[in-house]
Amino acid sequence: MQAIDVAKTLGRGAGRVQALKGVSLSLAGGELAMLMGPSGSGKTTLLSILGCILSPTSGTVRVCGQPTAGMKPEDIAKLRRENVGFIFQSYHLFPTLNAVDNVRIALDVRGEISQTAVAKAKEALATVGLSHKVKSFPLSLSGGEQQRVAIARAIVGNPSAILADEPTSALDSENGQAIMKVLAQIAKQQARGVLVVSHDPRIVPFADRIIRIEDGRIVGEETGGARLN
Amino acid sequence: MSLIFKLAWRNLVYDRLRFVATLTGIVFSIVLVTVQMGLFMSFERMVSEMIDHAAADLWIVPLGTKCFEDPSLVDERQRFRALSVAGVTEALPVVIGFAQWRLPTSGTTPVFIVGSDTRGGALRPWNVVEGNADDLATPGAVVIDQTYFDRLGTKGLGAGAEIRDQKAEVVAVTKGIRAFTTTPYVFTSLDRARAYVGTPPDKASYFLVRLAPNADAEIIRNRLRRILTDSEVLTTAEFRRRSESFWLFGTGAGAALFAGALLGLIVGTVIVAQTLYSSTKDHINEFATLRAIGSSASYIYKVIIHQAILSAAVGFFIAAAIGLKIVDATADSALPVVITPVMSLGLFALTVVMCVLSAIAAIVQVMRIDPAVVFTR
Repeated sequence: MQAIDVAKTLGRGAGRVQALKGVSLSLAGGELAMLMGPSGSGKTTLLSILGCILSPTSGTVRVCGQPTAGMKPEDIAKLRRENVGFIFQSYHLFPTLNAVDNVRIALDVRGEISQTAVAKAKEALATVGLSHKVKSFPLSLSGGEQQRVAIARAIVGNPSAILADEPTSALDSENGQAIMKVLAQIAKQQARGVLVVSHDPRIVPFADRIIRIEDGRIVGEETGGARLN
Repeated sequence: MSLIFKLAWRNLVYDRLRFVATLTGIVFSIVLVTVQMGLFMSFERMVSEMIDHAAADLWIVPLGTKCFEDPSLVDERQRFRALSVAGVTEALPVVIGFAQWRLPTSGTTPVFIVGSDTRGGALRPWNVVEGNADDLATPGAVVIDQTYFDRLGTKGLGAGAEIRDQKAEVVAVTKGIRAFTTTPYVFTSLDRARAYVGTPPDKASYFLVRLAPNADAEIIRNRLRRILTDSEVLTTAEFRRRSESFWLFGTGAGAALFAGALLGLIVGTVIVAQTLYSSTKDHINEFATLRAIGSSASYIYKVIIHQAILSAAVGFFIAAAIGLKIVDATADSALPVVITPVMSLGLFALTVVMCVLSAIAAIVQVMRIDPAVVFTR
């Protein structure tokens, strides 16, 4: 996953804001990178562009080597569902579906509707330590458990990259650490690129690389102290 | 179970109160349409019932006849001319017309007399549940339908009556022979009918033409048309269509029924559309999440369409149960609601179409979803 000299302007007229000003970034398989910066620095905009949810005003985005410029919305959606897993700050689980169905839906949108999909969803839940909660509904799960279900949904389709937007901000320290541990394991053991947007310094030790962004520009990059334990 | 189906169903029942409101809208709409269409079917049957039960290959009717109940007359000479055409075996007279039935208390009520040569079997009463229609050959005998006992102030079989100041006696009772005009039919012999209605002996309302086996009805009809004057020659199907057209559309009765049905459909569509729209709005984050995780637009449309179809199916099931109760309750009334299997299938299709059309507003809303909202909510 690669962004080359990406710029993004949001809004119109007087509300026009240049959220990104020539950002270049790449995410390799097997690494957990953190994108840190203050509010309004462009973290989430960059994440959205890398995840092909937003298109850049200028610059190039490549997913698995494929440039996204000029692609039709449905082709972009296909690229997204086959290559990118998302984890959101507010989990965005389906309250009417149980855990296994919340995970399975990521396969369902890809057309995988057989019993294998159920087995894969259960396996993904087992990966995040929730094999005992497959039939639980989101409202009966704690925040940490909901986020684990969201992680399972992100990884079940075996995407090459996982993009997480503030995955620990709604969680207490213990749960936040546990979630980051899971993400780090996924990056290392499943050789996926994981990009975590956060301004939570407590999770820095889990990162292989820390990218700092301010005012729409990358202002620094450092190697993290990645740890699994 | 398909996840689309499950998601659609769970979205629907998630807010039970709203689901009940949706179902109420659909049920109200479909019951209204069912009743209107049921009445239309019933009227359509009633309008052509006499024509369909007459043993005729062709009808000789007065020129310009609009329906079976049209009181115009045709001259007896036409009958003899018809009988002169090769292939015509019989031309049986039928006399119809309004008369006054004297009530046992006081006053009179209008009845519609149907008289024919009972031995020839031109237009005999059917569905006889009491007595014997053959007894119409006895003087003053009449056959009435049990639906109209109260209206005619009679207890049925064996009861005496007075029509146009002439004695009559109920010799048989039928079930389900009801008139579109709500004026009770009274079957009698040809002579009595002439007496009750005041038709001269050299006139009749219709002549029912019967053809020899293997005779070509079209050729004979053309021959009859050439030799008959002041009359028309119609096939049963033509006469039925003409009657239906007059009563259902010429009088505006059919249009009123259709207007009621259309109103029901509009109300139902608006209610379902409003509910699906607000349901979609409530679940907009979930649809945005679906879009963000890469679902195609068609996947989301399918969820909404499934919601619409599920609403339609449940709503129709309840409406059908109510409809059957109405059919049962009105079966013996003067104005029965008729539902046929074909009509039921049509109504189900109509319900589905109505609900799917209602989903358009919700789909338009979903088309505007920006998946990026998942990062801000």
